[in-house]
Amino acid sequence: MKFKYSVLKRLVKHNILSHILLFVISILVLIPLFLMVSTAFKSLPELLSTDFHWIPKKIIFTNFRDAMEVAPFGRYYMNTIILVISILAVQLVTISLASYAFARLKFPGRDIIFLFFLLQLMIPPQSIVVPNYITIASLKLLDTKLAIGVVYFASAFGTFLLRQAFRAIPRDIEDAAKIDGCEGLKTVFHVFIPLAKPSFIAFALVSVTYHWNEFFWPLIVTDTVRARTLTVGLAMLTQATESTPEWTLTMAATIIVVFPLLTIFVIFQRRFIQSFMHSGIKG
Amino acid sequence: MLKKLKPYLYLLPALFFLIIFTYYPVFRAIYLSFFKWNTSYPSKVFTGFSNYIDLFKNPDFWKVLKNSVIYSLSTIVISMSLALFLAIQVNKVLFMSSFYKVALFYPTVIPMAAAALIWKWMYIPDYGLLDFFLGKLGFPNINWLNNAKIALWSIIAVGIWKYIGYYMILFLAGLQNIPKSLIDAAIVEGANGRQRFSYVIFPMISSYTFFIFIINIINSLQAIDQVYIMTQGGPANSTNLIVYYIYEQAFRFWNRGIGATLTTILIIFLLVLVSFIFRSIGRRVYYEV
Repeated sequence: MKFKYSVLKRLVKHNILSHILLFVISILVLIPLFLMVSTAFKSLPELLSTDFHWIPKKIIFTNFRDAMEVAPFGRYYMNTIILVISILAVQLVTISLASYAFARLKFPGRDIIFLFFLLQLMIPPQSIVVPNYITIASLKLLDTKLAIGVVYFASAFGTFLLRQAFRAIPRDIEDAAKIDGCEGLKTVFHVFIPLAKPSFIAFALVSVTYHWNEFFWPLIVTDTVRARTLTVGLAMLTQATESTPEWTLTMAATIIVVFPLLTIFVIFQRRFIQSFMHSGIKG
Repeated sequence: MLKKLKPYLYLLPALFFLIIFTYYPVFRAIYLSFFKWNTSYPSKVFTGFSNYIDLFKNPDFWKVLKNSVIYSLSTIVISMSLALFLAIQVNKVLFMSSFYKVALFYPTVIPMAAAALIWKWMYIPDYGLLDFFLGKLGFPNINWLNNAKIALWSIIAVGIWKYIGYYMILFLAGLQNIPKSLIDAAIVEGANGRQRFSYVIFPMISSYTFFIFIINIINSLQAIDQVYIMTQGGPANSTNLIVYYIYEQAFRFWNRGIGATLTTILIIFLLVLVSFIFRSIGRRVYYEV
C-alpha cells in the first residue's frame, strides 16, 4: 500500500501522466503525416498487397518523378511563391500606413473607421466569393494571380497587430527623429517599421502560411495552369486520376506541396509558434 | 487643409481595398439576393424576396443548415475542450514540451486541401489505414465517407485535428500570462487542482477562451476545403456545409441569385451571432489592463 502511494506520488511529481497523455495524443496527431511519407515511398503493388507496413519493404523515389510528370508542379511553385510574396509586400505597405494613422494621428472618425476595419475579421473571404467573383470577372481579371491576391491587399488583422506594436513605441524616439528632420512617411519607414520588426515577422509568417495553404478562392478564380497555385494543382491532379486513385502518386504530390512550409516550420518552430501565439491575441 | 486630410491619406490604400473587396461585396450580395439570376434567367430579373422564399421551402437548405450547426457545435466543443486540456498539460511539463508543441501544431501549417487528401486516403474502405487496423482487431469495415450517417463525423474529425494545435497554442498564451504569484497564493490557501482550475486559471484566461470561441465560430462556418476534396457534399447531402452549398449553387449550377441570397444569410447570421455573443458573454469576460 505504502509502495503504491509513493509510486503515485512520483508519477504526479514528475508529471508522468501528463507525459503519457501528451505522447499518445501527439503520436495520434502525427499519424496522417507518417502515412503520407510512408505511402509516398511505396510502390503501387506493395500498397495494394494485403499487408501493411509503415516502412516500405522497398523504398522508391519514382512516385515523385511521376507526380512531376503528371502535373506542372514547377509552374505551380512559381505561381504560389510569386503570389505569396506579392500579397505580403502590398499588405506591408497598406497596413503600416493605416496602423501609423490609427496609432499616432488624431482625426475625426478615427475610432469608427478602426471599428470598420475590425469588422472585416467577421466577414471572411470565403463567405463573399460570389460577389467578389462577379467583381473580378467584370474587371477582366479572371485566371490571373492578381485576381487571387487583390482581395487580400488590405488586412484588418495586420492593421490591428501593427497598431498595437506602433503604440508601444515611445514618443521620445519619434520626437528625436523629428528633430533630425524625419517626419510623416519618413518616420513610418525609418522609425516605426524597423522598431516593430518582431510584429512584422509574426504577421509575415501568418500571412505566408495562410496564402500558401489557401485553396477555395484560387480554385474559383483560376481556370488554367497560368495562375493556378499548388493546392489547386494538387486537387486537380487527384481529380484527373479519380477512377483509379494512385495513392502513392497522390501522397508524393502532397509532400511536394507541403514540404517547404513544413520544413521551415520545423526549423523555426519557436518563432513560428510564438508568432501564431501572439498574433491573434496580444492587446 | 492638407494637414487635416493627411491622416485619411494614410488610411486610403487599406481602405480602398477593404471597401472594394469586403464591404462593397456584402452590399452587392444583399442587392443581388433580390434578383433571379441563373441559367433560365441569363440577365437578372428583380423578384423581391422570392429567392429567400424558395430557399426556406427547400429541404436541402435546412439540411445544409443543420449540417453546419452540427459541424460548428461539435468542432467548437470538442476542439476547445481538448485544446485547453492539452495546453494545461503542455504548460506543466518542461522536458519534451517543444516536441509536443510541434507534433500538435504542425496541422496548422499544412493546407487543409492536402490534409483532406491524406485523410481521404486513411478513410478508404478495406485497404485504407483505418479499415485495415479495424479489420486486424476483428471489427467490420466502416464506410467512413460513403455512409450518410457517418460521413459528417468523418469530416468533423478532420476539422478538429487541423485546428486543435492552433487553439492549444492560443490557450497556452493565456496560461503563460497568469502571474505565478496568483497560483502560488491559491496553493498556499490550500486550493486543490480542481479548485485552482475553476477559481483561478479558468477566470484568468476567460478573455482568451472568449477570443478562441469567436474565431472558432467564424472558422467552422467557413469550412469547405475538406468537403470539396473528400465528399463533394455527399452522400445524399449529408456533408454539405453552408459555404460548399454556396459554391455548388453559384458555381456548379450557375444560380447566382441563390448564391447571393445564401451569402447574405450567412453574413447576417454571423454578424448577429457574434454581436449577440459579445453582448451576452463578452461583458463577463475578464480583461487585464
